[in-house]
Amino acid sequence: MPCSKPGIAALTEALIVRGLNKTFAKPAVVDLDLTVHAGELYALLGPNGAGKTTTLRMVAGLTKPDTGEISVYGVDARQDPAGAKALVAWAPDEAMIYDRLTPLEYLEFVAGLWNVDPAVAKTRAEQLLAQLGLADEARRRCEGFSRGMKQKVALAGALIHDPRLLILDEPLTGLDAAAARLVKDMLRARVDAGGTVILTTHILEVAERMADRIGIIAGGRLLAEGRLDELRAQAGGAGGSSTLEDVFLQLTAESASA
Amino acid sequence: MSLFKPASTAWLLAHEMRLAWRGYRGSRSGKGVGALIGLGILFAFACLGGVLLALAVHGREVPIHPLAVLIADLLCAIVLTLMLSQTLGASAEALYERGDLDLLFSSPIAPERVLLVRSLGVATGVATIFMVFAAPLLLPSILYGHPGWLGVFGVLIALALTATAGGLILAMGLFALIGPRRTRTVAQVLAALVGAAFFLASQTRTLLGETASETLYADIAREAMDGRLTPPPWASLPLRAMLGEPLPLLGMLAVGGGLFWLATTALGRRFSDAAAAAQGAASKRRRGAVKPAGAFAAGAFRATVRKELRLMGRDATLLSQVLLRVLYLIPLALVLARSAAKVDAIALAGGAGIVAFMAGQVAGSLAWITLSAEDTPDLLAVSPTSTATLRRAKLVAALIPVALLLALPIAALTWFQPLTGLITAVGAGLAAWACGLINVWHQKPGKRADFNRRRGASWLATLAEIMIGGLIAGATTLTVMGLAGWAAPLLIVALTVLMVMRRTDEQIGRALRVAS
Repeated sequence: MPCSKPGIAALTEALIVRGLNKTFAKPAVVDLDLTVHAGELYALLGPNGAGKTTTLRMVAGLTKPDTGEISVYGVDARQDPAGAKALVAWAPDEAMIYDRLTPLEYLEFVAGLWNVDPAVAKTRAEQLLAQLGLADEARRRCEGFSRGMKQKVALAGALIHDPRLLILDEPLTGLDAAAARLVKDMLRARVDAGGTVILTTHILEVAERMADRIGIIAGGRLLAEGRLDELRAQAGGAGGSSTLEDVFLQLTAESASA
Repeated sequence: MSLFKPASTAWLLAHEMRLAWRGYRGSRSGKGVGALIGLGILFAFACLGGVLLALAVHGREVPIHPLAVLIADLLCAIVLTLMLSQTLGASAEALYERGDLDLLFSSPIAPERVLLVRSLGVATGVATIFMVFAAPLLLPSILYGHPGWLGVFGVLIALALTATAGGLILAMGLFALIGPRRTRTVAQVLAALVGAAFFLASQTRTLLGETASETLYADIAREAMDGRLTPPPWASLPLRAMLGEPLPLLGMLAVGGGLFWLATTALGRRFSDAAAAAQGAASKRRRGAVKPAGAFAAGAFRATVRKELRLMGRDATLLSQVLLRVLYLIPLALVLARSAAKVDAIALAGGAGIVAFMAGQVAGSLAWITLSAEDTPDLLAVSPTSTATLRRAKLVAALIPVALLLALPIAALTWFQPLTGLITAVGAGLAAWACGLINVWHQKPGKRADFNRRRGASWLATLAEIMIGGLIAGATTLTVMGLAGWAAPLLIVALTVLMVMRRTDEQIGRALRVAS
């Protein structure tokens, strides 16, 4: 599926985050700077409670930052939240769907929220459900669906409005091997077609294999960012053939002991 | 403590009771002092009624007379009907509510025991409600000369056990007959119908017409008083049990307990199978010719209205509540039509006011669901659609069913009295809109599944809804009576209350953030 939004000039940076701060009971995100290039798959990694989800929720407009700037394809998300939201899709690990709606009805609703032309949305919905192997379930209510099926419906919802920036929080949770492969292929195809994807995952092999660039975050701070070889260099101690897991563990351990 | 040996019935029952108590305490949290004071006042009034009753009946015995027997039997039938309405809904819901059912059925505990305990929980809950209502009325008489009346509580327990058995058998029968997909909805609707049966019976005067119903009641009473109506001997058992005669009381308890034991023992295995079948099967659609998808709604407003109407239409509990209101409207529509035909000005004006009040109440309930019950608030928050558009769409979705519901009485009225019909329609529209707005301003976000009852609604918002609905209903009544000048002050007060309840977008946003 092509990623296109008429009237928006192609920009090289899909997301620019500068000096982002958020404190709940304790600081969750601290002076975070992040840059995601257009047309890349960026993996944001970190241990539990590192601030990944809080960061992404702020980018998606769900959580208000205390301070900092967020720019999505040149649109200031704090000044023009609706303009930024029109370019973004957010799919958390818990599928945001309605049990009493069918996948088709759900997609109709989501397309309406993003003001997609009804005829285009209908065609796209049928294509997406077929692609995700849900064509036979399109008119069944979601209440009896497995977690994986619900995740797929939510992913179709995230793609129905053809977002330029797709943010996925743990997108492979609950998916079986075949469905996980399908989703990975779809994300890769989307990136190859010019779309931008940011995902978080605890499965480091997935990040290692799929991501163009990786950011590692801990304690709300960005510890390192770049391609795997750049991360190895930043980790210093890790050898040239070290895996992402080695680099990740070394960086986060250093951060914890600092 | 061999009684509470792990996995024993008593142990399991204690576990259920603990969960029920914690659930009750959880639902009470945040209700505030206002609700407690209200309950206290209600209790005080009931106690006062009980004391007056005790004084009135002191030194008198209730005769075992055919009329007294008939009244006692009728009371039992009403209570049993109301209890059955609750136990049928609870039994059907138990099949679908997962909770800890999977854990219990996967344990070595026999399914019969699980069902027995769960059903005992249902019976206890139902019996407790009726006993709590009966206690302040009866205790003064029991303490002041009529200790035998304690039997009423025994009868209530027997009725609760019978109703639980009946509810369980009905729910399982429906499951076998129409399958898991429809059982939930049909059971809820049936429960509502059973609950409304008493109300409809009380409306025979309205439904049959004054002359026919009065003749019927008068005939029955005269026959009974003259001793020509002789009920069979067993018909006096409920009255005797209520008055504390040991054998009839034990007999009723034995029948109730026996039915309960038979139902839970015989249906235990089937229940566990049905509960397993209910999971996931609820949404299965028969394979066959797949209809092409209809056109998608254009834009956020229409898509949201359509989504809300679909969700309301698929909410079995909500449907049954709406159905109940339809049933309550039928007698009202008949009264209106008769009064309009006979140009009975007072009845007509009163009926018009009731329609307006009803519109406000139904709109308030539906708007509460559409605006506050949202399963995916994050999806709405990340979309570029403005909150104002979403709110408007949800309010409109709540008002559409109200308009459809009230079409019947208003159409009946307009047929005979067009101007009265117009005034009623305007009054109903105003009341519905105002009560809907209160729910826009006073949302309490939560999952749809938690909203089957108006649990957690702000008492202030509920009170304001009743007040504004009442004031607009009064204004409608006065206008129909030709006293439009007197209606104006009521409308001004209603508008003032509405303005007091108003919240700005910022205030709503802040309240929602705090609540979530």
